[in-house]
Amino acid sequence: MRRVPILLLLVSVTLLSACRQAKVTSYRAPKETPDPLPPGLATASTNAASAPRPGTPAPPAPGSDMASTAVPTAEGSDLAWTAPAGWKPKAPGAMRKGSFTVPGPEGDADLSITAFPGDVGGELANLNRWRGQIQLAPLASGDLTTATTRLQQNGLSFVLVDFVSLSATKPARIVGAMVPVNGATWFFKLMGPDPTVSAAKPTFLTFLQTVRAPAAP
Amino acid sequence: MNDTVRQFRDFFVSLKLTVVLLVLSMGLVFAATLDQVNLGVWAVQAKYFHSFFVLWKIPGTDVPLPVYPGGYLLGGFLLVNLVSAHIYRFKRSWRKSGILLVHTGLMLLLVGEFLTGILQEEYQMALNEGQTKNYSESYRFNELVILDTTDPKFDDVVAVPEALLTTGSALQHPKLPFRVVTKEYYPNATLSLRRGATGENPSLATAGIGPQITATPQPLTYKQDERNWPVVFVELLGPEGTLGTWLLSPQLPAPQTFDYGGHSWRLALRAERAYKPFSLTLLKFTHDVYLGTDIPKNYSSRLRLTTPDGKDDREVLVYMNNPLRYAGLTFYQASFDPSNDHNTILQVVRNPGWLLPYLSCVMMTLGLVVQFGIHLLGFINKRRAVPATPA
Repeated sequence: MRRVPILLLLVSVTLLSACRQAKVTSYRAPKETPDPLPPGLATASTNAASAPRPGTPAPPAPGSDMASTAVPTAEGSDLAWTAPAGWKPKAPGAMRKGSFTVPGPEGDADLSITAFPGDVGGELANLNRWRGQIQLAPLASGDLTTATTRLQQNGLSFVLVDFVSLSATKPARIVGAMVPVNGATWFFKLMGPDPTVSAAKPTFLTFLQTVRAPAAP
Repeated sequence: MNDTVRQFRDFFVSLKLTVVLLVLSMGLVFAATLDQVNLGVWAVQAKYFHSFFVLWKIPGTDVPLPVYPGGYLLGGFLLVNLVSAHIYRFKRSWRKSGILLVHTGLMLLLVGEFLTGILQEEYQMALNEGQTKNYSESYRFNELVILDTTDPKFDDVVAVPEALLTTGSALQHPKLPFRVVTKEYYPNATLSLRRGATGENPSLATAGIGPQITATPQPLTYKQDERNWPVVFVELLGPEGTLGTWLLSPQLPAPQTFDYGGHSWRLALRAERAYKPFSLTLLKFTHDVYLGTDIPKNYSSRLRLTTPDGKDDREVLVYMNNPLRYAGLTFYQASFDPSNDHNTILQVVRNPGWLLPYLSCVMMTLGLVVQFGIHLLGFINKRRAVPATPA
């Protein structure tokens, strides 16, 4: 009997330990436009608010570079390529098809190869997504012709772009290519400090020449 | 004083209790140190120190059993033990004023650690140059959010912490015209696209991007430089039946949307958010490294702080060891995205008890100085009192 109060105290402390519980909350938040990548994937979407609108600024990528975030990749057989010897292969992660570190004079650049089903929102949305990643204003649909270079090689139709952001103290550059293959869109993006990407651009273009479509079954 | 109260008093005043608690504390620290290899620092803190009991799940079940007193219990009992000893056992005198100061400092330290444990919030805010945010995000916890995006001016958000997303759990919220049922939950999983190969298990998801993706469960990681990527399959059930099952993961780069009941909805599993009554805009991020290395020399963020009522609209500079303190929060320059030189990552901490450890250290130091001073003076006086012996 002497120990009953002490036991009661311990039991009450035990119960107290169960008091911290996660709770469902609800609140009203300011309107937020989600990142436009990749609207083509949300096949069930009928919400116009979430779709990218040409001419509206692309929201900047969140803290982790969205383009580097693992994303679903396209169906079907993969493209094949031969990477230059100087590029250091990285673990591609869950959803990148390929990933390389491209060393350069002003720090490393990142080369990512991703693929998504469908057209992933179209050329303009994708190019503006890339522009947003280096703080460039979005293009209007009329600017597409001047901003892109179209290239046919190995039976593939590449759309090439070269964007540079010189406003910052450390200018950033993206040299990228998009190519539709078997109902999917493949993205080859070289992004990093301007001097590194500029220096690596010829190698990148040579690299693109090695990209081959899957052999027909 | 009746018997029961006396029993409590004797229990808490006892020096034996102090010894037992100290021994148990040593055991707790030892076990936690060993377990850090398996669980990592965050999980160990939560399991061993920020808990009343160390729980152990019976193998094969989800039934937790308390197997050892946790940090809160030991710290709480030590605090009560020390306070009780001062009330009932210790005699107060000027000669022991130093000890009183040391003990008061110790009590403050225990209280401060408890307050930190239960009240501290640690989030992060990642900003690109030109970007404005009025929320910070957790780097360890996720939440399922269902947003009613119908109104053009705001979103109505229902947020369900990841801890509630256990397989088979169901939720009916007054703001939602459907029930949310968790059909499957993986605390950590990788995503890959379905190849359409024969023999592939059919997806649980029937709507959104989910049917195109395979989620493969992975063991939980406790490494500090890695994080777990949960995946949840949620089914929404309206009065007419199922609206579909969605696969959600923070790895998916965009939320998924659907229309129901004349409203537009958005679904996502994302890092848990804490909204603020003010916004921060990153004006400029500066990052210098030591010449020829990648080691950061200094990095700083020039920010603009604004409140909706216009009372505050000013620029602030946050750099290493110079945080911004505002509205009970501290914003430290924590990191940046190595692949993007225009991005900053601020650590956002709320800790109402942050001053207490400093105060307690000052008190304990002062107490030790006073106590040793008293003894030193006594010793000197004693030596002076000894008469000089004739030569």
